[in-house]
Amino acid sequence: MGVISAIGNSVAENHMSLMQGKCGISHETTLSSKYAGLLPFGAILFSDKTLKDRLSVNGQPVTRTTLLALHAFKEAIDDAQLTASEITATDTALIGATTVGGMCLMDELYRDANSDKASVYAASYDCASVNMFLQKRYQMNGIVNTINTACSSSANAIMYGARLIRNGLAKRVIVGGVDSLSKFTINGFNALHILSDEYCRPFDQQRKGLNLGEGAAFLVLEKEEDVKDKKVYAYLCGYCNSTDAFHPSSLSENGEGPYASMKGALETAGLEKEQIGFINAHGTGTENNDEVESTAMLRLFARPPAFASTKSNTGHTLGASGAIEAVYSILNLVHQEIYPALHFTEPIISTGLVPVQAYTKKEITHVMSNSFGFGGNCTSLIFSKTC
Amino acid sequence: MFYIHQYSCISPQETFLKNDIETLHASTENILHVIEPAYTGFPPGALRRMGKASRMGMGTAMQVLQNNAKPDGFIVGTANGGMEESIRFLKQIIEYNEDTLAPGSFVQSTANAIASQLGMSTQNHGYNITHVHKGLSFENSVIDVGMLLKENPEHSYLLGGVDEIASYNYNIEYAAGCYKKEITSNKELYNVNSSGSIAGEGAAMFLVNNTVENASAKLCALATLHTDDKRMVLDWMRSFIEKELPAGETIDLFLTGDDGDSRHAELFSSCEALVNIDTTIARFKHMCGEYPTASAFALWLACVLPVNKPLPQHMLSRKGAEQNIKNVLIYNCHQGVQHSFMLVCRAL
Repeated sequence: MGVISAIGNSVAENHMSLMQGKCGISHETTLSSKYAGLLPFGAILFSDKTLKDRLSVNGQPVTRTTLLALHAFKEAIDDAQLTASEITATDTALIGATTVGGMCLMDELYRDANSDKASVYAASYDCASVNMFLQKRYQMNGIVNTINTACSSSANAIMYGARLIRNGLAKRVIVGGVDSLSKFTINGFNALHILSDEYCRPFDQQRKGLNLGEGAAFLVLEKEEDVKDKKVYAYLCGYCNSTDAFHPSSLSENGEGPYASMKGALETAGLEKEQIGFINAHGTGTENNDEVESTAMLRLFARPPAFASTKSNTGHTLGASGAIEAVYSILNLVHQEIYPALHFTEPIISTGLVPVQAYTKKEITHVMSNSFGFGGNCTSLIFSKTC
Repeated sequence: MFYIHQYSCISPQETFLKNDIETLHASTENILHVIEPAYTGFPPGALRRMGKASRMGMGTAMQVLQNNAKPDGFIVGTANGGMEESIRFLKQIIEYNEDTLAPGSFVQSTANAIASQLGMSTQNHGYNITHVHKGLSFENSVIDVGMLLKENPEHSYLLGGVDEIASYNYNIEYAAGCYKKEITSNKELYNVNSSGSIAGEGAAMFLVNNTVENASAKLCALATLHTDDKRMVLDWMRSFIEKELPAGETIDLFLTGDDGDSRHAELFSSCEALVNIDTTIARFKHMCGEYPTASAFALWLACVLPVNKPLPQHMLSRKGAEQNIKNVLIYNCHQGVQHSFMLVCRAL
């Protein structure tokens, strides 16, 4: 596994921050935007230059989104001790997700679109540029794909990767997602009036919206029989992609999509709902999401298991959030512990659900991770200690 | 992999409802713009809120689903999604200096707008995904559907590829050297020795499942790779044919995504040299232009090619022995780096 977020530059640092209940959201950012300093963000405080130095990609035209992806990708393949021949093998796939891609360079894009002379970034504005950079740098020959289903993108990348293995189209997959802070998304979410000017407060009656964040995470998945004596953190046992089919930018009152994705994930895992020990909720801190997600959890579980949202630590990292939270869900399992939700004071009146508020040691076998996106794209994953 | 039952295509040619591939409409200033039909059956007001990519996607999807077909999921490949809407929003941000903006364009600009609108308009809660891997966005959608139909053999799915050309992506790609500098008609695309291609756009949608009865074609196999090494492409093509073409069968038509870019001429001619001497060789990018999901247009073309009649003259690069085209090998290449092979078996 590899991860970089506002609460740390590695899995170990993220783990430490989660245990300490650290909030990475602040008014500090490297971003150039009118809202820098005005609104809180879950920013990674490395400049592009520092990231390039750390990753030895100096001189190349590489976007911040790609740099963050490379940072997490490198940690993941090192952690999994993949050899060069394993990475380049035709049965090793790379499935990455992003919603911003090269659109972090909005001013450059605007200039390039309005002049005859291309900047060095002209080929880097789309979403695929991130994974095409990784493919080229690591000379990968297997299936390479980029998925964009808004905020559920990297949960779908993980699911797609797992299905490639299950269908015999890959032996191992490197799956994940990335997004960097961009004027495009900041202004988009601001126009929708769902950016909070305070720290986000997932599942709180007084919540005022989300904080955008940035980050990346990658995971290496292999088939159980190929693992042999390698280190195994967890099993991906369940997944389901389902559509709310209600509205382009909000979820239906009853949470049809979230309900169906959680239920479907239980079915693919062959688990009873009582077996879920913890839910890493989507929990963005918006009025709509948190109430609908609560409603869907109540519908499915009657008495929902322990749950919390780590977006109160990292902000909402959009296309990266599913992968980052997959890493966090796996940390729940590896260390048998639950990390506290931050900034929570009072439950939503209509649902009354209270997230876990203190660091807790707990025996957990199965963790569910939810990701719901614009357009109603809902995906739930289930990670397990044993399979 | 699976069978194609219904299909629909909006392209720079008169393909929508008419399937006219004989008449070749000309490009204007190195761009082949789609011929948009008068859309019918959309909810009132919906059309006005949609960008071109959404309109084309919805228009072709509604056509495919017109017999009240209820697919179990929507799988869409699009490199750029709502390009026009992205640009509109980007312009607002820059020109109004990030002041309070209207969110409509932002919501419509997300790549998954097409697939999710399809889910909404059909009230479908099933699998819904958008693949955005540039020149292999449609191919990854095909891989996805292939897996879905193994996992759920009774299901049917709507599969599509959609991309639009707007002034912004044209300008950026032009500046990056993707398109020809001199004005070149699509009718002369393969006769001009210069770098770059001509731009295009389009939408193609397919209703697919595992049912052989009444199918128009079977998509038998697919392979994708990333490389700028010609030898590697040739190796992949050789092994793809060896592995996927059933014994005793021949490739009747080699349909290539030759983009008229002199930098790729040797690549395409080397690939053409690999097929049998009596295989017909034809091309399609002079009809649709170069765009990331042009392979969806090629697959649609493989479904509608005439039976017992010669191919349109404008497509032919070399006329082969077999007039009854059963097995079609489609080779596409996007910007010299993203390659795909599709083997299509037509019902005759």
